[in-house]
Amino acid sequence: MSRLPGLGIAMGMALTLKKFFEPKATIRYPEVRLDVPPKFRGRLQLLYDEYGTLKCETCFQCAQACPIECIDMGGIDTKGRYHIHWGAPETYGERRDESALRRSGRPVPDQAYAHFDPIHPVKLEAILERFDFDPSRMLEILDATQAEYGHLPVAALKLISQRTGAWYAMIYGTASYYRHLRFEPPAAEPLAAATATARAGRETAFLAGLDASLAGSSRRRGRASAASRS
Amino acid sequence: MTAVARSWGRLTLAGKILFTVIPILLLLTAGLVLVVVLFGKPIVDFLAANIWLVRFIVAASAVLLMSVPTAFLIIYMEMKVIALMNLRIGPDRVGPFGSLLSVVHGLKVLMKEDFSPTGSDRLVFTLAPVVVYMSAVMSLLVLPFAPGLFGADINIGLLYLFAVGGLTVVGLLMAGWSSFNKYSLLGGLRSAAQVVSYEIPLTLSVVGLLILTGTMSLNQISLNQAGWFTNWYVFQQPLGALIFFIAATAEGNRTPFDLTEADSEIVAGFATEYSGMRFGFFFFAEYVNVFIVSGLFVALFLGGWNAPIAWPEAWAIHLTFDPGSTGMGLLFALLLVPPILILALAAPFYVGRSSLPWWQALIIGFVLFNVLAIVVVGGWAFISLDWVAGLLWFLGKTYLFVFTFVWMRGTLPRVRIDQLMGFAWKWLLPASLLNLFVTALAVIVINPR
Repeated sequence: MSRLPGLGIAMGMALTLKKFFEPKATIRYPEVRLDVPPKFRGRLQLLYDEYGTLKCETCFQCAQACPIECIDMGGIDTKGRYHIHWGAPETYGERRDESALRRSGRPVPDQAYAHFDPIHPVKLEAILERFDFDPSRMLEILDATQAEYGHLPVAALKLISQRTGAWYAMIYGTASYYRHLRFEPPAAEPLAAATATARAGRETAFLAGLDASLAGSSRRRGRASAASRS
Repeated sequence: MTAVARSWGRLTLAGKILFTVIPILLLLTAGLVLVVVLFGKPIVDFLAANIWLVRFIVAASAVLLMSVPTAFLIIYMEMKVIALMNLRIGPDRVGPFGSLLSVVHGLKVLMKEDFSPTGSDRLVFTLAPVVVYMSAVMSLLVLPFAPGLFGADINIGLLYLFAVGGLTVVGLLMAGWSSFNKYSLLGGLRSAAQVVSYEIPLTLSVVGLLILTGTMSLNQISLNQAGWFTNWYVFQQPLGALIFFIAATAEGNRTPFDLTEADSEIVAGFATEYSGMRFGFFFFAEYVNVFIVSGLFVALFLGGWNAPIAWPEAWAIHLTFDPGSTGMGLLFALLLVPPILILALAAPFYVGRSSLPWWQALIIGFVLFNVLAIVVVGGWAFISLDWVAGLLWFLGKTYLFVFTFVWMRGTLPRVRIDQLMGFAWKWLLPASLLNLFVTALAVIVINPR
């Protein structure tokens, strides 16, 4: 169908006229201020003190706390020659200890630092190789890792994050979502059975309490579902 | 004294000239008033005998004075309307809704350094913006604003308009030539090519209309379209009106045909070397041109000052109130009515809101009284004075078209130079010739003599 000549112009003019009457996007800043979201922390930047040196203590707490590892630390050596990368995120804790010792002359314990044991990575590398380092097959990778190591060590999760490029927080979220994945090594057999029954009992009690608190409607629905099941 | 000297030193040359010329002009005006008061009689007799002189001077100064606020208004309109179409707010700091921003722009341009490049032809360089601006302002002289309200009713008004409008090309070429810059020269030639090309369909599209009207006087053409809006020539000459509109867009150097100073592509073309008020004149001339082109379109095709509806004579309201007939009563009314009305309008606010201080209530009353007075006086003038109603209709229609031009600028992208020329010569020119022949044929068939 050949279009009418000038139809495109007319459509464009109609569009601009429609926009003419639409509400505007501008915010008159000094008079009108937007509500800031409660988690907003402003722009991250390093401050200088009055002597012109960086106020940063290289305590690594920011890099450690950042859930998506967007904060990284690097630097220049004393002669200004190299751009030093401070290492993988899992070594930040050690770096912080070194830094605190250098600056204050005594070891400063880090409350936020959680130590995790290293693993032997060869098997994990093989698993990752098998799944082609594909972050979209994360569940399979985690399953294989758990089958190999018995549980999901933190070091393994960090390595998976490094190799696949997925955020640690996302991997942790995936792992914590599935009940069959665990972060600690399994307890001994009888103890495990006891924990399992205790957990089942807790769940039943919780569901019963929930049912009671939701009173009539939920009970009716429960009866209906029971009837349909039978 | 030092402060004055310092302020004086800060002024640019243009500012110094302005600050000396304005007091001199004021003194001269005072002297003129004194002369008129002292030797009024013979002068008045002379002027009464040569009324054309008075008319010329008044019309010329009125048109000159009118062109500046018109340009300000259109500049403001352009900033605001395009901003609103871009989902922005646009100017909103200076004056109510930012309406004084264009005045600030004008002052800014006035204060900038008036610079002319080395090697430029100084005289021509200075004259070029004047020529462009004068051609715009001189076109305003023959526009019929309202019945009896026009600079001159020339019987070749339309021809005059096209001739004077054609002077713009001379100004653009002068600017391009004298800038001592090959890009300016190229820009000037380019704009001359565009304006001259579009002059032809513009003129030819009106010839069909001239066959219908039989006159070139814009005043007479407006009078011919009196009555209902079906008498407007746009319904008898739709093709002519369309061609005229497109060609006029190109004549006024407006988007999508604003290649003369495509500011994003060729550095403002002919105006590359211009700065300060000389550039301001080009700028002003462009916006006055927009007004003229819109006004011309309204006068030729949309009934000029005529209302779209012809009121039946039975419905007409005849206000026989003549303020002059009330004599001394008028004086007392002028003295007494405003304060009483202000107080009366302020009273309900003062009584109704106890937190309102009396002076704020008085301000509210004063503003309300002014609104009321403007509405009453305006309504009275609209009903009983022909030219007020005509002027309002004319300006309303004209600014509708100014809005359309701005709207087009907010919408359409710029055409390429070959598309521009091809459109003029391959489409507009044959179409205008077709319009001319069809009109002539129709006139012969309907009205054989």
